[in-house]
Formats: sequence, C-alpha cells, structure tokens
Amino acid sequence: MNPDTMQEVAPIEIAQPTEAPLSTADREPVFQTRDLTISYGKSVAVADVSFSMYNHLVTAIIGPSGCGKSTFLRSLNRMNDLVPSARVEGEVLYHDQNIYADGVDPVEVRRRVGMVFQKPNPFPKSIYDNVAWGLRVLGMKDDLDGRVERALTQAALWDEVKDRLKKSAFGLSGGQQQRLCIARAIAVEPDVVLLDEPASALDPIATSKIEDLIHELKHEYTLVIVTHNMQQAARVADMTAFFSLERTESGGHGVLVEYDETQKIFTQPADKRTEGYVTGRFG
Amino acid sequence: MAADAGRYSLTLSPRTRRRKLVNLFMQALATLAALSAVAVLVLVIVSVAQRAFGALTWDFFTKTAATFGESGGGVANALVGTIVLVVVAAVMAIPVGILVAVYISEFAPPRIATATKLVLDVLNGLPSIIIGIFVFGLLVLGSGQAAWKGSFALAIIMLPLIARATQEVLALVPSTLREGALGLGASRWRTVVGVVLPTSIGGILTGTVLAVARAAGETAPLLFTTSIAANVVTWDPRQPVLSIPVDIFALSESPDPADHARAWALGFVLIAFVLVISLGARLLLVRHQKKLEG
Amino acid sequence: MAEQMRATFQDELEQVEAALQEEGDYVLRSLRAAVNALEQADAELADEVIAFDDEIDSRYFSIQEGIQSLLARQTPVAVDLRLVLAMLHTNLHLERMGDYCVTIAKLTKLASDAEQDERLVQAFEEMGQRAEEMIRVALDSFQRRDLEGASSLVDLDELIDRANRRAVERVLDFADDESKREWGLRMIIVSRCLERIGDHAVDIGEQTAYLVTGEFREFTDASHQAGG
Repeated sequence: MNPDTMQEVAPIEIAQPTEAPLSTADREPVFQTRDLTISYGKSVAVADVSFSMYNHLVTAIIGPSGCGKSTFLRSLNRMNDLVPSARVEGEVLYHDQNIYADGVDPVEVRRRVGMVFQKPNPFPKSIYDNVAWGLRVLGMKDDLDGRVERALTQAALWDEVKDRLKKSAFGLSGGQQQRLCIARAIAVEPDVVLLDEPASALDPIATSKIEDLIHELKHEYTLVIVTHNMQQAARVADMTAFFSLERTESGGHGVLVEYDETQKIFTQPADKRTEGYVTGRFG
Repeated sequence: MAADAGRYSLTLSPRTRRRKLVNLFMQALATLAALSAVAVLVLVIVSVAQRAFGALTWDFFTKTAATFGESGGGVANALVGTIVLVVVAAVMAIPVGILVAVYISEFAPPRIATATKLVLDVLNGLPSIIIGIFVFGLLVLGSGQAAWKGSFALAIIMLPLIARATQEVLALVPSTLREGALGLGASRWRTVVGVVLPTSIGGILTGTVLAVARAAGETAPLLFTTSIAANVVTWDPRQPVLSIPVDIFALSESPDPADHARAWALGFVLIAFVLVISLGARLLLVRHQKKLEG
Repeated sequence: MAEQMRATFQDELEQVEAALQEEGDYVLRSLRAAVNALEQADAELADEVIAFDDEIDSRYFSIQEGIQSLLARQTPVAVDLRLVLAMLHTNLHLERMGDYCVTIAKLTKLASDAEQDERLVQAFEEMGQRAEEMIRVALDSFQRRDLEGASSLVDLDELIDRANRRAVERVLDFADDESKREWGLRMIIVSRCLERIGDHAVDIGEQTAYLVTGEFREFTDASHQAGG
C-alpha cells in the first residue's frame, strides 16, 4: 500500500447488511385500526387505538398487565366474537376492508389471520393430524403430506418429529408443542399470524428457538406479537407499540401511548410514560 | 448447639404420635368402607349365581317358554326382546342426547343452557312408571303394543343420562382447544365435530353405557308397552316383545319352581350383561387414552 | 445444546465488528497518505487526507449507532458484553487516530513551502511505518482475540516513543537556523501526533486484553513513567 493520492488506493469491500433497511414509508399496511374501542359490557377495555401494522414486519405490542394488549390482538381476527358481552367500536381495516363491517364472515377473516396462543394447545391427535386437520377442513387436501412437511419445516420442527408423525402431539415438550401450533397455523397459508405471548410458558432455550423462528417467518408472513417481556420485543420486533393504562372514574382502560421503530422506542422514546416503562421504573 | 435443637426438633413428640394414630384410624375406616362396597357387589352376584346355576341350560337360551302344563322351555324370546328394545332405544336416544349436550355446551346462551340442564335433571328424576303410562297413553292406546313403543319409553329414560354425561365432559374440554380450531378458520360445527367431540369420546361412551345398562334393567315402563304374551322369538320392532325384567317379574309370580329358577337365571344374565358392557367400555376407554398419550 | 441460536444477534455483532475493521483500514490509508504528503510536501494530497476524515467520522457514527442498538435491543452479557464495550472504546481510539492524521496533514500544508530537514523526514517515514505496523497488529490481535499480539504493542510503542524523543532532539539541533526553525516547531507536533497514534494503538491492545480476560488493566511499563 503506497498511494500517492487517496484515489489510487483500491476501494475496500463494504459488507452489505443482510436485511433490507427498515422503512415503513414504502411498505404496505396490512392492518390499520381507526379509533378502535373494545368494551366488555359496560367496561371499556381499550380505547381509541389508531395505528398501522406493516407487511412482512414483526410488530410487537408491549405494556403492563391489564392494558388490553390481548384484547386488542384478538380484535384483529374477531376472536372477541366468542365473548358474548364484547363490543367493538371504530374500524379494523385489513387491506382496506373493515373486518367488522356487515356481511363480513369471521371464519373468512380467521383463515387469513391465524393465531398462536400463550399456552400451547395442540389437538389431542397425532402430530400429523394436528397439522393436517386444518388443511382438510379448509379444503387444502392436495399433496397433504407435502403441505404438512413444509409447515413443520418452516416451524423448525420437521427434523425432530419426522420419524414419529403418527404419535400423539402430547408426547412433545412444551417448546415443541408450541412450534407444532405454529406449524398448524401456517399450514393453512394465512396472510398474518398473531402471537399472544407465545413464549411466556416456555423455558429460555425454547423461547430463544421461537424468537429465531419469528425472524425467519417474517419473510413469508406478517407477524403481530403481544409480549409482557419487553426484552423479547426489543430482540424480535421491527415496530413496537406501547400500551398503557389510563385511569378514569370508572377504573381504567388501555390506550396506545407510543408506536415507533423498536430501535427508537428502546433508545429514545418520545413519551415519558414509554421511557418509564422500558427502563423498568414504572409498571 | 444441642440446646437449640429443641426449638427446631423434627423428631417424634406426643402431638405427632397422636396425629399418626388419627391418620391410621381414618385410613382403616376408609378401607373398611371400600371393602364393604365390594363385598355387597360380590354377595349379590354370588347369591344370584348360586340360585341361577341350575337353570342355565342350552334350552334356557334357545327355546321359548313351554306351553302350559309342559315342562322345559327357555327364555329366548325375552333375551331377543331385550336386545331389540335396547338397540332401538339406543338408536333413538344417543344422537338426540349428544346433540342436546352439544347445544347446551356450544350454542345456547347461558340462561337457556341452565334451564335446559334443569329440564334434563327433572326428566331424569321422573319415576319410570310415569313415563310408561305417558307412552302407553300416547302410543299404545288404540293401536296395540309394539317393541318400538317400548323403546321410545326407554329412550326417554336414557336421554337425560346420555345428555348430562356428554354435557359434563364437553364442559371439561378447555376453551383453548376450541380457540385453537377456530383460530385456524374452522367453523363452529367443524370445531365441534372434529375437535371437541373426539376429545370427549371417553365420557360420552361412559354415559352411553350407563344409559344402556339402565335401560336394559327397566321394568315399569315396559309393563304397559310390551307384552308378557309375546312368547315367540321375533326381531321385528313392530311386534310386541317380552323383556328380561318383565319376564323376571312374570316368572317369579308363577307357581312352578322351575320358573323361579329361570327368573334367577334371567337376573344373572342381566347382571352379567351390565358387567360385560361396563368393563368393555372401560377397556375401550383405556385403550383410547393410551393412544392419546402416544 | 449444540445448536446455534440468536442468529440475528450473532449477525449484528459480526456486522459491527466488520465495520470496525473497515474503519481501521480507512485509518491506515489515511495515515499512509498523511506521511506521504509530509515526505513529499504535497499540499494536494494533504487536502485529500483532510477530506477523507469525513469517511472515518461517518463510520464512527454508524458504529456508535450499531453499538447503541446492540445494547438496547439485545442485552448482551458475558463475552458479548465485553465485545460490545471493547468495540465502543476501539471505535473511539480509531477516530482519534484519524483526527491525528488530519492534524499531520494540516501541518504539512502549513509547512509545505518551507525547507525540510532530510534526516527528520526520513525519521518520520520510519515512525509512520512503525505506527502503521502498530495499527495493523492492534486490529489483527483484536480480530483474532490474540492476547500475546496485543501485549506486543507495548514494545512497539517503546520504539515510537524513542523515535519521538530523537526527533525532538534533532529539531533542537537546528534550533539556531532561522530558516528551519518554524518548520522544526511544526515537526515537533507532527512527531507528537505519530507518538499519540502509537499510544492509541496500545489502548486498542488493552481493549483486546479486556475482551479476552475480563480484567480492567493497563499494559503498564516503566518507560511510560519516564515521560515522553
């Protein structure tokens, strides 16, 4: 190396980042809520939530207990319909269609917006049938074996179960059962996968595997995850929404306080309440 | 250090000795009670078997009652009659019972569910003779007796048993299981048929077996709806038939001691039938569980 | 557990470290060019060195951001934490080295039309090579987590320190020569810059030692107490 001018020095290869830079400006919003308010009977659970969740990104929802995170998540696939006293005001737009409009079939919504729950809930069937049942019911019976294998592979479970597909799902460990539930959900090719505290019932290693899986899954799906573990949100999410409790005369309800890139939320949050929560100073 | 051991001592003291005695006493009491229950069952089976012994011949199972005055004969008509009655009753009661349970558990609003459960419980408590009179008045009066009319009465008795047992086991299915199926985009009915019912199959089976055992042993409702005059073996549900319990009743009123022996024998057959299907159902259940555990 | 997990975290760590090594390469280029500009009294080359510092600074800021992100989002512990902290400090040392190259270039510009002392220029060529070598050893030892290589920097620094003292003495030699005096004073500062670059390389070596051992320690040496 003995240049007479700077230009004579050969330029050095700059390693390109492995992921495309995050920019919500040119991404399509998959979900958009407008003044969404959900109540159970007379008491409001979560009020006036408005924000967008973007395509092929992981959006995390964090906040203290009781601020309506799960209630909000379940409103995205109309699971709240199962509670008779639940009432929804405002709009939830899925690709610009309000899923609460008259004439919308909740079953259709749930085909496109799948869900994974806090406690692994595999069916009391074999591992194969757990994944195949949904496929059969939804009429996706062609190449059933292939579809089951693909789903289990995508869920990073295939190698561990390929020799015991006919055995009961209950023979799997908690972490494996949860990955089976993820396989079951993605087998039916949804657009979005909602995850309600998917790792809170799991040990640290199983949790780590689920988090790695989430990183992989976002290439194919859009993910929205509720978690009470904010470090998990920091590790896993591209965008983070912070919900908190707002005290009212009748008790309190959840509100959206801040929504931004995870990077921003954890280095320089705009709202003092957000900062109080992520620094662990306020519950 | 030894001085402190007193406060933290873990060894026997008068209080712990008394506690041990009480434990032993209660254990002994409970064991005795269990043994008594077993003893009663064994006594019933043994005493019936003893008295039935002589009459359990090949003729007993294959022939119908002998004509008046002659000796010999059997109770084939009663055996076949019971089978016909119970099978037809089961065919009527099982689907309806399960569907009622599904309605209560999956679709009914809470108040209606509670009301329906109450109705079933009351129905369960109705004396079976009242059911018999009701069916008699509804179906038999004017048009004659027939096996299926007797089955109808039995089905009314079986219905609350099957429905309640099914409903209780459906209620035990965790809601997370339903949510898992619904979350996939399956409809309510698919969820019930594909996930909820298969999960509850054990309880449904138990309820059904109990109901069948009860039906096989019912006498009162059949007094009006079937006939002691039906002394031919027939598999046709449109004909009047004889059932085992009614035949026991009839035979025990006969002056012929051979008939008494036959009555005991029939009683033995009934007990044996109940034992066999109960154990059979248990076995099926255990095999089903083993499959689930993988 | 034989499987590798937290792949994304691993990737992020490697990316920041790669950026750090790249920043080091930039510093090496800057140093080489600055010393060349000095030897040849080339004002244009000196301007390029000054402009090039923007590249180094932009690398510096993006590495800062990367480290902030790693700390905020990945909560590193154990060796990961030591790596992140070591990179934080090394980043700073590299940026300072870049600034010293700029200082050398600026002084070159100021002194470009003055008469030079051949011996001194020769000495600077050697000091420049020493400094370059030290930077390479420091970066290489960091990358390979090589404790011995890092420790060897102390002795290399000793050589630069001595060269620095000789340079000062040389300038004092022609202190009476008016035509050369101003140039000479400026060259003392240049010498000081090269010596400071060497010190920063040693500091990077200390970061490598911290990364490997977890101990907060300096490579203390008697010569450092003798001044210079």
